[in-house]
Amino acid sequence: MKYAKKGLVYLLFAIPVITQLYPLLWLFLYSLKTNEEILSGSFFSLPKHFQWANYKEAYENGHYVRYLSNSVLVTAVTMIFVILLASMVAYAVSRFRWRYGNVVMLVFLMGMMIPMQATLLPLMLIFKNLKTGSFHVLDSPLSLILPYIAFQLPIAIFILSGFMRSIPGEIEESAFVDGASIYRIFRSIILPVSAPPMMTVCILTFINIWNEYIMAATFISSEKWKTLPFGVYSFVSQYSVNYGDIGAFLIMGALPVIIIYFILSERITKGMVAGAVKG
Amino acid sequence: MNVLKVPARTIAVFVLPCLLLYVVLVFVPILVSFYTGLLNWDGITTAKFIGFDNFKTMFFHDPVFWPSVRRTLLYAVASMLEIPLCLFMAILLNRFIKRRANTLVSIYFVPVILSVVIIGQLWKTIYNPASMGGMLNGILISLGLDSWQHGWLTEPKIAMYFVYIISLWQYFGYHLLIQFTGVQNLPEEVYEAARIDGAEGFKADRYITLPLIVPILKISIVLAFIGSLQSFDMVMVVTGGGPAHATDVISTLMYNNSFLSLKYGYGSAIATFLVLVCLICTFFINFIFGRVEKKVG
Repeated sequence: MKYAKKGLVYLLFAIPVITQLYPLLWLFLYSLKTNEEILSGSFFSLPKHFQWANYKEAYENGHYVRYLSNSVLVTAVTMIFVILLASMVAYAVSRFRWRYGNVVMLVFLMGMMIPMQATLLPLMLIFKNLKTGSFHVLDSPLSLILPYIAFQLPIAIFILSGFMRSIPGEIEESAFVDGASIYRIFRSIILPVSAPPMMTVCILTFINIWNEYIMAATFISSEKWKTLPFGVYSFVSQYSVNYGDIGAFLIMGALPVIIIYFILSERITKGMVAGAVKG
Repeated sequence: MNVLKVPARTIAVFVLPCLLLYVVLVFVPILVSFYTGLLNWDGITTAKFIGFDNFKTMFFHDPVFWPSVRRTLLYAVASMLEIPLCLFMAILLNRFIKRRANTLVSIYFVPVILSVVIIGQLWKTIYNPASMGGMLNGILISLGLDSWQHGWLTEPKIAMYFVYIISLWQYFGYHLLIQFTGVQNLPEEVYEAARIDGAEGFKADRYITLPLIVPILKISIVLAFIGSLQSFDMVMVVTGGGPAHATDVISTLMYNNSFLSLKYGYGSAIATFLVLVCLICTFFINFIFGRVEKKVG
């Protein structure tokens, strides 16, 4: 009886392992098949010969490296500014004594309820009018970085200010007595001490921004600035010579996040829970 | 706790850059959107101010508007349906699989971290006809159920349900992880006290775990609800709202009106509606849970 029960529980947990991983494995096998093997329609079959050539073709026909480096650029710049701006506000809200601290916090929290896609059209109209000489904000990385920063700020401020409230005040006091300015205290004490919540913010920002698709697809039109998700989407919808190549490009698109998840899985899951719980 | 008294100028240095950026990029667009919602405008010719006509059209004359609202709400309900299952699994996981539990949860979590583009395209391929290598139809054929084959995303009657399934699949790991973390963090002593009083196993779950887990449930539900109201990217990637508006939700309707039909005014009116629905729902959920928490606490 006891074994039967245990077996049942194990079975219950084995099923999601299959349902959550098999589609990804299936895609991987798909990416290594020839067109004939794919079109034969059997739901499980190993390719006769692994068609690594699919990856080569996908790499040569898509602009993988360009998409990847655009994504790195956009995500990295967003991350730096989110951390910097959010910790400044979080510090002011959690440690300064001033009348409007709560109001400022409320403004940011209210923004959390605003759906990002409602801003797509107005932001496009605004960005369209923002140009100096030959530089247009629309269709440049700036048109992504600016709203990305803005939409990541509330949760970042929330997480950081929660942490900063718990820093003991004596540290600042003694630094103050020693003649350190508020900027100095912020730079040399508060920022280094806040590393753990910053890590959480970085993870949340990374997962959200790295995967963001719709804003990129709306604001970017030139091949030069497409980010990875948008690049993958346009490759998949335009390329139709070889199904295996499409599978290969999808796998390549997923690869960076998978690798990072493989290395940092515990931090990422913890960070995402913290993000959800505090959001 | 010590709080610093600093001059206003210093506060401004710390707060203003961020606040300005935020207001300009989040609140100003919403106001712009509200205003353009009052216009008849295609983005090219001169805009004409028409008051609340767009809203009237939306509520009374647009045959695809209310069905999209219904699908959006159904999306939310569908997403919430998996939460009890996740809670049940989280409790079992915590009780029976001590050592490997974290590994299992991180496996379930893999789809959560992938871009909607990858997930959407993967499932589009899975839903393809067998003649194009689709997995689902392939499975049906191998089981001898040839007649059950469908164009899962191309038949208007069923397409929406198969979009829901993708989201359920993707976020299963997220909800399970949240519930599992919540169950793990419940204080051990309460259960010990209950054991002495004769409550063990599922009886303890009914009277201890469930009430204590309410705040965590709320997080999952808010997440599912907000996620579904914004269930935009997935529909956009997988069907774009088609076939024949059969999978349109509020946000795709807004997007297609604004960017494909170039009805800037009408699209903005729908965007305004979406913002209002999001605000109302968030307040509503908080209100309900405020009462539930008071009751069980």
